[in-house]
Amino acid sequence: MLYYLIVCRSLTYAQRTAAALERAGLTARVLRSPKAIAGEGCSHSVKISQRSLPRALQVLRRADLVPKRIYITAGDGSWQEVDL
Amino acid sequence: MIFLDSAATSLRKPPAVARAMARAVRGLSSPGRGGYASARAAARTAFACREAAARLFRVPSPEQVVFTSSATHALNIAIHALVKPGSRVVISGFEHNAVTRPLYAIPEVEVRVARAPLFQPRAQREAFCRLLEEKPDAAVCTHVSNVFGSVLPVEEIAEECRARGVPLILDVSQSAGALPLDFSALGADFLAMPGHKGLCGPQGTGLLLCGRVPEPLLRGGTGSASRSRAMPDFLPDRLEAGTHNMPGIAGLLEGIRFLESEGVETVRRREEELLARLAAGLRALPGVEVFAAEEPGRQSGALSFRVAGLDCEELGEALGERDVAVRAGLHCAPLAHETAGTLESGTVRVSVGALTRPWEVEGFLEILKELLP
Repeated sequence: MLYYLIVCRSLTYAQRTAAALERAGLTARVLRSPKAIAGEGCSHSVKISQRSLPRALQVLRRADLVPKRIYITAGDGSWQEVDL
Repeated sequence: MIFLDSAATSLRKPPAVARAMARAVRGLSSPGRGGYASARAAARTAFACREAAARLFRVPSPEQVVFTSSATHALNIAIHALVKPGSRVVISGFEHNAVTRPLYAIPEVEVRVARAPLFQPRAQREAFCRLLEEKPDAAVCTHVSNVFGSVLPVEEIAEECRARGVPLILDVSQSAGALPLDFSALGADFLAMPGHKGLCGPQGTGLLLCGRVPEPLLRGGTGSASRSRAMPDFLPDRLEAGTHNMPGIAGLLEGIRFLESEGVETVRRREEELLARLAAGLRALPGVEVFAAEEPGRQSGALSFRVAGLDCEELGEALGERDVAVRAGLHCAPLAHETAGTLESGTVRVSVGALTRPWEVEGFLEILKELLP
């Protein structure tokens, strides 16, 4: 199943991001970023479904929450960065 | 037991505090350090606590709420962020050693004291303004004197600092949870507070509300940006090296929730009434000199007194033997005593909190009457 990971600079930022999405009715889960996309090592991401991305980006823009990077995966270990 | 030492700590706490701490010991591991249930639960608790504090103090983002081990820890971070060797700093005449000792430990710091009498906000503001004209590198001001309960006009002092571009640290150790505080409106660079006084949380907790990203005092693991040799450049991670005090944070969250449900304004009114009763009762006793404000709104939480011919420490001991908890001596704030002219005698301090009951005030006055010569 395809899903997106919104990479955040910190756990707290990821929690703020997830909270904003949940308030808007979108399912969002905070998790530790896979090592392949963690950047400087150890970061947190917010997982959302494929169909939620456009709405999620709107919500985050309104909440002034800037995603660091966004990746898409089919859950097979491959990651592709999404051009924002 | 009659507990009138709330300015030292909130011995009586909402029952939910201890329950949450016990649950945390059993079920919360380290936030952000794993994807398993107890780590996720810890992360949720820590975030809920940051959010609750951000709501209570009107902080724009929970990331600006940093957990510390105490107000002293928070003040040390803030002071070291703004004050460098050779800096000039303005402080009020009511600062605690948690402010003065870190300042005097920085080489060649010039500390200028804005002295004003007790309970005189206009004089306090004018004293600050005079010294702010000298363009100091920073200012530090307590909101409420831990000895006398004297309320300083921090909103006005913050405004004067902003107008002159002087960074400001506010020590809100005695006012957090007892008086309304609006971080955004104050515009101070840092607000430092303990979690275990007015916020009704456990000891070993504190908060630093940050208006800027300072240099860290401690360096170590944060669970973020781990490949970097430097601390992360973002809050709160930059200031939170090491494993979090999860039982403390879980307890603090319940303390803040209690305040949210009671309302800080309700707590303020209740404490003001108790303090007024204490002042009236003490004034009626022979030989007792009471340091109490004449006008409402100028004193909060604490009140000092001394008795002619009685050593304050001996009186404090005698009250303690009768199961009355007060604090005697200099209260770690010799500067405040110097300002008030009580440095040689010291005082006995009685202080109230959100869970102080009227019968404790009446009981204390009865017992004190028996002890007077």
